[in-house]
Amino acid sequence: MSSNPLPSNTSRLGGCTLTGALSVTTSVSDSISIVHGPKGCSHHNFSLLHTIALENNRLNLPSVYSSGLLESEIIFGGEAALERAIAACASSSPKCIFVLSTCVAETIGDDVFSVCSMDWGVPVIPVPTAGFLGGAFQNGVLNALSTLSDGVSPGSPDGTVNIIGEKNLEFEVEENYTEVLRLLSALGLSVNLRFIHQISYDEIPQLARASFNVLRDKEVVPLGDHLKARFGMPYLESFPVGLAGTLRFLEMAADTCGVSYHAAVQDERAVQEELLADFSDLSGARIVLPPDGVSAGDGAVIREVVTALGMKIADSGLCVPMPLSPPVGTSGIRRMLHRWRRMIRA
Amino acid sequence: MTGAAACLAGFEGITVIIHGSSGCYYYPATLLHAPLRGTFIVEEDVIFGSERRLLEVIDEVSSSGTRIAVVTTCVPSILGEDIRAMLAAHDVILVDSPGFSGDFEQGYRHALRALTPLINPETNGINIDGVSLFDPFSRGNIQELSRLLLNANVPVATIFSMDKFARVRQASPYTITTNEDIAGNVGTALGSTLGLDALKTTFETIGSVIQGADTEPVIREIEREEERINHACDKYLRRFNPPRAAIFGSPSYAVFAANSLVTYLDAEITCIGSRTSVIPVVPYVVKQADGLTQVQEMIKRHEPDLVIGSSFERSVMPAAAFVGLTPPLQGQVRLTSRPVAGIFGTLSFMEDVLNACMDRRR
Repeated sequence: MSSNPLPSNTSRLGGCTLTGALSVTTSVSDSISIVHGPKGCSHHNFSLLHTIALENNRLNLPSVYSSGLLESEIIFGGEAALERAIAACASSSPKCIFVLSTCVAETIGDDVFSVCSMDWGVPVIPVPTAGFLGGAFQNGVLNALSTLSDGVSPGSPDGTVNIIGEKNLEFEVEENYTEVLRLLSALGLSVNLRFIHQISYDEIPQLARASFNVLRDKEVVPLGDHLKARFGMPYLESFPVGLAGTLRFLEMAADTCGVSYHAAVQDERAVQEELLADFSDLSGARIVLPPDGVSAGDGAVIREVVTALGMKIADSGLCVPMPLSPPVGTSGIRRMLHRWRRMIRA
Repeated sequence: MTGAAACLAGFEGITVIIHGSSGCYYYPATLLHAPLRGTFIVEEDVIFGSERRLLEVIDEVSSSGTRIAVVTTCVPSILGEDIRAMLAAHDVILVDSPGFSGDFEQGYRHALRALTPLINPETNGINIDGVSLFDPFSRGNIQELSRLLLNANVPVATIFSMDKFARVRQASPYTITTNEDIAGNVGTALGSTLGLDALKTTFETIGSVIQGADTEPVIREIEREEERINHACDKYLRRFNPPRAAIFGSPSYAVFAANSLVTYLDAEITCIGSRTSVIPVVPYVVKQADGLTQVQEMIKRHEPDLVIGSSFERSVMPAAAFVGLTPPLQGQVRLTSRPVAGIFGTLSFMEDVLNACMDRRR
């Protein structure tokens, strides 16, 4: 049924550009993000961002401000309300102000870019959003990242790595980053910048210093291409996924930076063997994939893990929980297997 | 929109369709934990009109055997499409309640009016109103008031809004409320259930109005449990000064919290921030605080050592003792159905206050 939020109905379920863009802009710690629309749009997103922050042990509130469009602005235009909002935010001297428009502002035809181009005393950066009229969630993410990267000047590569386009609303965002950091460290590589995850406005220009970029997943490839064209930075198109994929990630990262990977791969293979030994009790267990299906990435990881542990995929029986995105690295697979074992034992 | 959806989705037998984009849909869907449907309109529907898409979704859900309710979001409302005319051939409840038209409480009441509740003089018992899927205390409130009414030998009639849809048109002539901010005004109001004084008065009224009611067991329980609260609070005051509290929430819950703190702990209520435009007439400083800026200013000015409100307010002043009373209450696991109303509601609230204040001092 197309009124049901099922994965099969994805063409209409992409979410809101505003949420995607806010997941990026609110991660610039000393900025303010203005949502130009009714209060409900900012409340909705504020609540979501706040929840994710608390779940990641961050007590600070997201810095979101609403222009608070009411029925009168819908009729007579909302640009004056946006000007009032920018003036109010500018008075607290943030490092920069992001302005994100909603479907309501787009429908009534407010010229957001024109208002932002006035002299406000602080950088006021419009991010192309326009609610669902500007695309879907991922468009908002990419537009925000792209807008922020456009202000960066080219630099000299220093052998470090950028992490690009982390899913800031992902429950396991820190654990996934920690896993990538662990693997890069095994190669002797360090992270230059998490673009954009909990950084300050002044850190953004550091983007151009790194030697290559690791993208969160393939959805960020358009930005990877954009950065490659601007700064000549090569990229790996995804965080490591799967047992073999994690070893391959080490090889590719090492090749890109011109360092040796043999010792790191050997060590990681030992970590994976230990993982399989720890879950050897699952051998022979029969599992069922979720009825809504799994993504291609998930499917490949699951088949690999099931085969490695001697498990079986059945047509009926116990349905095991799946992560929303394919598990990252060996540590991600370990967490997934703990959830499976809990279900199998239940 | 979310207020309207919270009201409608609480009734079993109604299928709620959010007429708007997926981004608008996700908010009530995640907040209310209810099986909502959506039209998930895209740009094409805005350019060429959303009628075809809306009717397509209505056709899909019409076989479910439930009554269909359509709640509009901002863009379909702004476009000026005649949605009522679009739906003329269908037996559908339309609630035009876009986000820019008002707050949660207005949307909720708008939807409840659209359901056209009816009183059946033959229906026994008492309705419970003020219940909303949005309120994390609603299930606890229902359980507690059902328990108290049962102890008073009074059946529960219709619960607004968490009941079977058919019972909306079979309401009792009498109602007690758990939250006056979203009271539906169905039947004769017998009183509030927030706070022990109000509860006692309400049950005394029930005893005089409802034939066959025996409210003595409830009155005795109120007096007994109030003694326990007095004992615990007196013990606290032997060692500590009363808290200086800032309270943020909908007016009914906020005033309940203030009255309880003053009655049992001789607390100073530094300010009340009302989430709605309603400013209750009470002996406290009350201001509208429906935005973070106002909340931050009030907390900064008054420097309370106890904050009652949502996880937003907790984040503004993490050093203060905190008790959650207002959604959202994020960052903590909540598995049990705790009430605010009834006897257990006051016990639960004061228990949380005392523990939070003592934990802060450790």
